[in-house]
Amino acid sequence: MSEKVLDIQNLKTAFRINDEYYAAVDDVSLSLNKNEVLAIVGESGCGKSALAFSLMGLHRSAKIEGHVNYDNQDILKLSTRQLNKLRGKSMGFIFQDPLTALNPLMMIGAQIEEVILLHDKTMNKRDRKLRALELLDQVGIRNPKLTYEQFPHELSGGMRQRVVIAIAIANNPEVLIADEPTTALDATIQSQILNLMNDLKEKMNAGIILITHDLGVVAEMADRVAVMYAGQIVELTDVHTLFNSPKHPYTRSLLESIPSNADPKEKLHVIQGIVPSLQYLPREGCRFSHRIPWIDQSAHDENPVLEEIEPGHFVRCSCYKHFDFAREKEDERIES
Amino acid sequence: MSLEVKNLKVHFPIKGGIFGRTVDYVRAVDGVSFKVEEGMTYGLVGESGSGKSTTGKAIIGLNKVTDGQILYNGQDITHQKGARVDFRKQVQMIFQDPYSSLNPRKRVYDILAEPFRNFEKLSKVEEKKRISELLELVGLSNESMYKYPHQFSGGQRQRIGIARAVALKPKFIIADEPVSALDVSVQAQVLNFMQDIQKELGLTYIFIGHDLGVIKHVCDRIGIMYRGRFVEEGDTDDIFNNPQHIYTKRLVSAIPDIDPKNRKERIEVREKINTLYEESYDQFFDEEGNVFPLQSFSSTHKVAVPERGE
Repeated sequence: MSEKVLDIQNLKTAFRINDEYYAAVDDVSLSLNKNEVLAIVGESGCGKSALAFSLMGLHRSAKIEGHVNYDNQDILKLSTRQLNKLRGKSMGFIFQDPLTALNPLMMIGAQIEEVILLHDKTMNKRDRKLRALELLDQVGIRNPKLTYEQFPHELSGGMRQRVVIAIAIANNPEVLIADEPTTALDATIQSQILNLMNDLKEKMNAGIILITHDLGVVAEMADRVAVMYAGQIVELTDVHTLFNSPKHPYTRSLLESIPSNADPKEKLHVIQGIVPSLQYLPREGCRFSHRIPWIDQSAHDENPVLEEIEPGHFVRCSCYKHFDFAREKEDERIES
Repeated sequence: MSLEVKNLKVHFPIKGGIFGRTVDYVRAVDGVSFKVEEGMTYGLVGESGSGKSTTGKAIIGLNKVTDGQILYNGQDITHQKGARVDFRKQVQMIFQDPYSSLNPRKRVYDILAEPFRNFEKLSKVEEKKRISELLELVGLSNESMYKYPHQFSGGQRQRIGIARAVALKPKFIIADEPVSALDVSVQAQVLNFMQDIQKELGLTYIFIGHDLGVIKHVCDRIGIMYRGRFVEEGDTDDIFNNPQHIYTKRLVSAIPDIDPKNRKERIEVREKINTLYEESYDQFFDEEGNVFPLQSFSSTHKVAVPERGE
């Protein structure tokens, strides 16, 4: 049985719009095991980044409820000071944009040493430098001594992302949260960075939460996948089940709309309607129902919950049993 | 309708010294030639900094051409100002970022009216009629006319950008990463739509992109760029099923596979190609790290390899 490192229970993150709070993350429960990549997938606005930021206490003004248990303590209840002892040490964060995540006025070496110094006052200057060079080498930078004395603007996007990863893993974290780590990068660099993260997972026995909208990245990296829609998890299962027998209509629609799955020159699948904005999110019933209007209202649960339909495979709302794409095409034909 | 680019070069000067003299040049596009036939979709692919966007912008006149020729229907339009006016009506551009390519202070009505005001003298009534036709074409409601760009989602904005591009019934559209900023389902929507209007209006596209999955789906012919030059050019089938240059092979192998079963295999293939890339680097690139001129490999397929010495 794998060991849990992080346990999220009923997490709810709400933002204030015109004096009212709207939940962007709405009752999410998840757990992360050691040596595991848990991917969280969804379109922009589904709350996946809001979830990641909540875990690290990075929201400035949001109402966060629920529990996040790490090392026998609820990290949502910690003060900023206590949290600072965890952040950068046992919990690392890889940001989406490596240019804005680095300080443009500091040399790369100094930025890495900063995190080491913050959490380990016993190390002397020489050891810190050695450790920084070792980290740069570990993330696959060819000439660590040169990069150590460079500034962020002198590095390419892929190199910068490697530096951000080096900073995140500097203190051997047990939990690594990566928010779209390869979105800003080219395909060949992306595959290198993903490889690197895989190696690190094995070496450090860490649990990685990978936030992404790219299903290709999920297929290549993840062990388990949580699909989010409108602030909720709609499907949670291991990666093979997700790609071979997806259940929830949203998961199936997403997979259907990837170009490489379709025949060239054939039409891609389009999900009807748009992701509703935070204020207008339907809070009752199946939140995906209005995107699949050809499915009868009676097929949806009144209060959909995540149900375990097979061991380890959770799906929200029983509408998946009645869902197919064929009916939509029929409806379209009648209309036209 | 056909467009031919001959040995196109776009160099940007690097200024230096106290007098700001030109010290050197950045060779963003360094000798690119290709031909786009009517009704096809031509893909320009490459990593960031390879010069694919610069090529697109040079064709439409947003970048100054240093050397080379651009022929439109056999007519040289590289420098001639007069010839360009007609050309500009027929050639339009779709930009990458639907957030920064629409003026936030203009209503959709004014954004879409601008091409008409520039090229056609229309009465108010006619103008409005044409705009509502455009909105209908891109699937937006008539009321959107009086809204501002921030009131739309990313996909809707991209469609406003497309509406503006097709306003003057162009023959030719240069799409610079039109779906890179969009989610998969919205991406599907925009790609479908672009294919629909291609059939409807008989458009020819140059599709600039870095996502090979998308490129494979929409393009008939592809040119792969590296450091301002073509590495390989061929029909979609040639590039994806029979890549010859090591750079193309590496690029194709880096496409994420959607089936997690093949994960181990893919990693092995990639590692093999990466070692091959390092080993055979000298065979495919000259001393300065540039690629060689293109040589014909088959009737549709060209590869940048050194000339075979006798």
